[in-house]
This record gives sequence, C-alpha cells and structure tokens, in this order.
Amino acid sequence: MTRIRSTALIFVLLALVIAACSGNNGNNGGNNGNNAGSTNESSSSGSEVSGEIKDGGSLIFGVGSDPLVLNPIYAGDRVSLTIDQALFAPLFQVNNGEKTFYLAESLTPSEDGLTYTLKLKEGLQWHDGQPLTADDVVFTFDTILDEKQNSLFRSNLILGGEPIKAVKVDDRTVDFKLPQVNPAFEATLVQLTPIPKHVFENEANIEQSEKNLYNVVGSGPFKFKEYKPGEYLTLERFDDYVLGKPHLDSITYRIAKDSNAALLALQNGELNVNYINPQDVPTIEANGNFEILPYSEGRLAYLLFNENSANGMLAKKEVRQAISYALNREEMIQTIYSSGEYADPAKSFVTPDGLFWTNDVTTYDNDVEKAKELLAAAGANNLNLKFIISSGNKAMEAASLYVQQKLKDVGITVEIQSLDASAFSQKFADASATDFDLAYSGYIMGYDPDAYRILYQSDADSNYSHYNNPKVDELFDQGASEPDPEKRGAIYRELQEIIAEDAVIYPVAYTKTIVAVDKRFGGIEEAVLKPVVIFEDPSKLYLK
Amino acid sequence: MRQLIAKRLIQTIPLLFFVSIVCFALIKAAPGDPVLSFVTPNMHAEDIERVRANLGLDKPAYVQYGLWLKELLKGNLGYSLVNHQPVAALILERLPATAGLMGCAILLAVILAIPLGLIAGAFHNKWVDKLITFLSYIGISVPLFWLAILLIYLFAIKLHWLPSMGMRTVGVNSAADVIKHGILPVSVLAFSFLSSYVRYVRSSTIGQLREDYVQIQYAYGSSRWIVLFRHVLKHVLLPIITLLGMSLAELVTGAIVTETVFSWPGIGSLGMTAVRGMDYPIIMGITLFSALLLIIGNLLADVLYGFADPRIKSSR
Repeated sequence: MTRIRSTALIFVLLALVIAACSGNNGNNGGNNGNNAGSTNESSSSGSEVSGEIKDGGSLIFGVGSDPLVLNPIYAGDRVSLTIDQALFAPLFQVNNGEKTFYLAESLTPSEDGLTYTLKLKEGLQWHDGQPLTADDVVFTFDTILDEKQNSLFRSNLILGGEPIKAVKVDDRTVDFKLPQVNPAFEATLVQLTPIPKHVFENEANIEQSEKNLYNVVGSGPFKFKEYKPGEYLTLERFDDYVLGKPHLDSITYRIAKDSNAALLALQNGELNVNYINPQDVPTIEANGNFEILPYSEGRLAYLLFNENSANGMLAKKEVRQAISYALNREEMIQTIYSSGEYADPAKSFVTPDGLFWTNDVTTYDNDVEKAKELLAAAGANNLNLKFIISSGNKAMEAASLYVQQKLKDVGITVEIQSLDASAFSQKFADASATDFDLAYSGYIMGYDPDAYRILYQSDADSNYSHYNNPKVDELFDQGASEPDPEKRGAIYRELQEIIAEDAVIYPVAYTKTIVAVDKRFGGIEEAVLKPVVIFEDPSKLYLK
Repeated sequence: MRQLIAKRLIQTIPLLFFVSIVCFALIKAAPGDPVLSFVTPNMHAEDIERVRANLGLDKPAYVQYGLWLKELLKGNLGYSLVNHQPVAALILERLPATAGLMGCAILLAVILAIPLGLIAGAFHNKWVDKLITFLSYIGISVPLFWLAILLIYLFAIKLHWLPSMGMRTVGVNSAADVIKHGILPVSVLAFSFLSSYVRYVRSSTIGQLREDYVQIQYAYGSSRWIVLFRHVLKHVLLPIITLLGMSLAELVTGAIVTETVFSWPGIGSLGMTAVRGMDYPIIMGITLFSALLLIIGNLLADVLYGFADPRIKSSR
C-alpha cells in the first residue's frame, strides 16, 4: 500500500515539473516580443525604428571563455582574437582580394619585389592619446623576431633562414626589406597588428605583462574599460578611431562557459550576439528576436589519412582512393552538420576564400564497386583501421560513426577510439604516431595559398598526413616566390589537382559558422562578418 | 589542547608535500601539454619548441617539479602557462565569488537540513519521512547541470524573474544585483548538499530517539516536539560540526559544474579551464590550497568537538 502511494507521489511530482516547464509554451510567440524590452538589462529600451543611424547603445557578445592574452602578438585563441578586433586596428585587411586600409594609407612593393613600403595615415593615436608612428610598427616587428619574447608568429617573418627587416624611413613610413621575393608577404602583414612601443618598451618579459589583460592600450574603435575575470570585459567608444567615431557607446564580452546556458541567456536577451549550432537554429528562429547569419569561416573540414600508420596501407594511393569512393560527401555533410545549409561540399584542399581556389578537381565519391575493385587490386583485404576522435566533439563523433558504417560495406572494419581533448591533439600532431589511421579535423589557413605548404610539403611542420610527393614540394616552393599572379595561379591550380588526385585527404565540407544577432542592431553588412572574429570592424554596428 | 593543535599543524607539512607530488605526477602522466592547447596548424614547429623551452616544459618532470617547489618555498605559486598571470592573484581574485556562493549554499543547506532531518527521524517510516527521504534521494541522484538548466529555463526564460547567468549585470555594482544572480546557483548547490545533510541528521535522530534519556523525558511528560528540539537537537548537532569542517575545503574548490553552467566567476570554473589546458601551476595552486583548508577544517572540527562534548576532550 505504501509503495503504491509513494509511486503515485513520484508521478504527481514529475507531472508538476513537466507542467511547469511546458505550461507557457502555448503563448510563446506573443510573450517573447513583450519581454525582450523588459529583460534587456543594459540596452536603452526606447528604441524606435528609423532609417537614420543613431549613436549610442551597447552590445553584448557571448564568448565561451576568458581571453588569454589580449596583446595581438601573442593572441591565438578565438576569444582574444575577437576582442582584439575591437581593441586594436590592423594595418589593412583583405576581403575577396580587395584591400581595406585601416592604420595604413598605402603599401607599395618595389620593382624587384624585395622592399615593401608601408605608409601610415596622418594623425594616428593610441587610446591613451600618444601618437602611433612608424616606431610602433618597427617595435612590433622586432618584438616578434626577438626569440626571448615567445611570439608564435616569429617563423612567419623568416624567409629562407633570413629575417625580414623593418626599417623606419620617417614617422609615417616603414620599409620592409625581404631577403627573397615572397608574394605571400602581404598576407603576413595582414596578421601584424601594431602594439604600443611606449607601453611595452621597458618590459623585460612582455608575455607576462599585466598590460596584456588589464588597461590594454590599443588603437581600435573601442578602448579598454573594465575586465572582471570569469564575468565580462567591457570596451567603450574611442572617439579618435582612424575610420571615424564608432556608433555604439560600448561593447561587452560576457563569458558564458556552458553552451546550453549561453543559448538560454541569448533567448533571455542577456546576450545580443552569440555563435549557435545548426541544431539550435529552429529554437532561436522561433524566438523571433534574432537574425540568423550563417557565413563561411574559410575553413575546410576533412578526413585525415595517416600515411605513417603501422599497417602501411594508407600510404598506398589506391587505398585512400578506395576509402574516398566508399563515402558519400552529401550524406556525410547531412550526418555531421544536420543540413547542407551550413556546409558546402569541398573537393579542393584550398578554401573558397583563398586565391586561385578551384573545386573543379578530381574527386572520388560514392562508388562502392570501384572501391572494392581498388582495394582488391591493392591487396587490402580485411583491413582494420583505427579512427581517433576527441571525446565530446559532436562533429568528430558523427563523422567517425558515419565512416565506420560506410566502410563496412566495402569490407573495412573501423575501430573508433575516443581520447580526451589534450590526448587527442597530442596524438594528432605527433609526427611519429603510427597507431591510428583516420581522424576528422579542420583548418583555417587564410587567403594566400602559400600558407598551405606547412600542411602538405613532405618535411613541413604540420604535415599531419605524412604525405610525401617531391613534385608537390617543388611546386609549393615555386609558388612562394613567383611574382607573376598568372603563373602563380597555374602553379596552385596544379597543386590542387595533384593533391586531389592523390587523395591525400578526403575533403568533406567548407563549413559555415552561424551567428545569431539581435534584430535591434544594424550595420552588420558594413561591419563585415569575418571568420573567427565575427565582425571585422565593430565600429559600424549601431542600435536601430 | 594547544599542544594538539601545534602537533597537527606540523603534521600538515609532509601531508601537503605528499599531496603536491601525487598531483604533479598525475598531471605529468596525462598526455598533452599546455602549449598544445593553443597550437594551430599555421604555427611552425620551431616556434612551438622555442615557446615550450621558454616555459620550461622541455625539461624532465622531476626537474619541473623541483623548480616549482623551489619557487613555492619562496612563496611564489608561479605563473599560469596559458595566460601568464600570477597564480596566487588568479586564485585570490576568484576566492570571494566562490566563498560567497558556497557559504550561502552550505548555510542554507544546514538550516534546512536540521529541522527536516529531525522530523524525518521522529516520524521514522511514516509518510513525512518517506517524502523527505524521497526528495533527498532525488537531490543525490539528479545531475546538477540538468537541474541548473531546468531552473534557468523556468525562472529566467519562462518567468523572467531571475537572470540566467553571471554574477552581476554588466556595469551594475550593487549587492542586490549579486544576490539576484546568486539565487539560482545557491539553490542548486544547497539542494545537493541538503540531501546528504538530511540523511545524516535523520539517521542520527533515529539513533538518539532510542537512547534512555529520551525515554526519561517522555516519562517526565515532555511533548514530542520539546524532546526533539530541546534535547535530541543538541546531540544531532555534533556530526554537523564534522560536516562543516569538511566543507571548509569546498568553500574554495567550489562547485565546478554549477559554476560553469551559471558562468559564476569562481575557482571552480578557473580550475576547470586549467585542467582542460593542462595549466599545471594553477591546478597545483588550487589543489594545495584546498588540501590545506581540508586539513585545517578537520582540525577545527576536532577542536570544536572537544568544546561541544567535554567527554571527548577528556578521553584524549
């Protein structure tokens, strides 16, 4: 008797909980509209929609962790890079081959391609009012080259063992002297954001400086206001910004470590901008207060073949081709990204934002019979492959299960090994690891194809596939020093064909990232959606 | 008494030393290192090696431990390998948030656990007892992150009564605002502590009710409530002292899950990030700090026990 009663009690309690959760669903749409204004804590609520751009208001980004180092010569994590985009102005940026100048007024290569002359705009200022001059650019350059200063960009400024030199000509002009011709140098300069000499020149160890996180002095549209670790970081408008006074009064980056909680905070209006997963798009759409913006990250997601693996089979081109034949790209994209809307099919190792990109290359796709033939010809019977994944990574999990199932059809057994995140990255990057065959990964390399040599040249540092083709090595070397764009294009198109034909990797998709932006904010097009950092120039955003 | 305290404090030194060795060994036995957590394919091996060497990560583990210990003896907990800020400052900066959160949660849990446990014990096997026990089972078995998300959904999204995350509204610096943000995380944590405390109090109440003095009180005509709250309560409070002593360490290590879900800027979420990034100076700092507090908390509980129950003191 008592047992029946307590069981009944459980049901009553459960029913209460469920009722409480779902009770409001019926009038969801109507409610949310009204509530958005009242729960939005910091944005001014009296906003009328008008055609004109108004100044004022503040925007809250959701970020997944604390920034590590805001000093741009050390920043490498997504959060620091995102904040730096508002805090520091770059020299110039490149979009679809077009340059947008920020601090720089012009960049002129010399006839022989060995000197680049950078001219800065007039009257540039740091956030603390000090002038920004050629000295700062040279200081930044020298700090990166200084081995004691721990910068991870150092090797980018070394060509053929010789460092590039930065020489001050006058207060607004710097000459970069290259030891050899390097058409990719402009792409290197894009990543070089000047840091203030007067702030750091007396620091022995710049990396440990407190000024990398607190009271950071930059040159971007917003200046440092307040950082509460684990909570938020706030920037406020910098009126003397090089491209004109920003519209918003302030930008805040709120740290929301749990992605589910961040999604709820977004729905609750506590965040105005946040990344969302494809699965969450319907939820946010239903909320009605957000614009959903998918955009290309310039990222390739691919299946990696470890040619070093102990069974020796993946070193055979035919086996790699056979595995590729066994898979179906469209299906794989559906499985991993739940819809083709957020990932475009990839065939080349270069991403569509890259120079000389072409998807018109050889591809092995969706032909089980052909796969079996190739495997039989290569003598690969009853092949056993190990697929490593980082535990908890949804894309890797989905990819591994898909590959496991598809390869079963051609008689290959795939064993999935789930590793903890740091163990995974160690094994993945370990050049001597022979105990795994497959992995699902991705990269963002930037727009100049020279960047890819680090992945595909036989002795390169990030040649995770352990691919070795002397022809490819040679072509990458040629491309790096070929000044004629037409000839350069031919070289990189040939490279894309060779690597596709050799089935070095199985390119899956050019993935898109999805950002939800509060509909009350405008200027998104002018601010330019950008891989990794969300907005290229946050000064253009405004409150409608 | 004084001798006892001194003896126990001296004993902590080898204990802490032991804890630090075990912790360091475990970190070093795990694969991966902090540099890997910020490496991208665009970085050259030469740069990665140079940075690793500058951070001392290329040396054998025992040398790294020796260097760390040498700095520790000088009073320096070292620098984070990931964001390069001093560890002591990082911990202290987050201490108030965690101590406040855990303090409120533990206090709330104790205040609620005592009457609930007493009542459950007194009505042993009756429906009140069953209800309270059932709820405490829920508290123990429900995953905290799930409960937290459920509460956020209910109180922040549906009812709009409370904020869903963080410790304050951006730019607002008032106690009321912090309290408003704290209600949900404190409730979640208190619920989980409550469950185990209630079970302690309940079983000890059941035990006490069988004692002779209870029968005598009944014989004198005392009512059930007077017996419970005037006499049994005092005895039941004794194990609570031990519980509180143990929870001193939890005051600083915090609740990793709860802090992460609510984006509460405490030591728990700092530790979580450090473990993910293999940032050993921070992990070591937090471990040592909490080990120290656990030892002190135990000592404090023993001393207080002596005051609360003189029989224990004399038996030493």
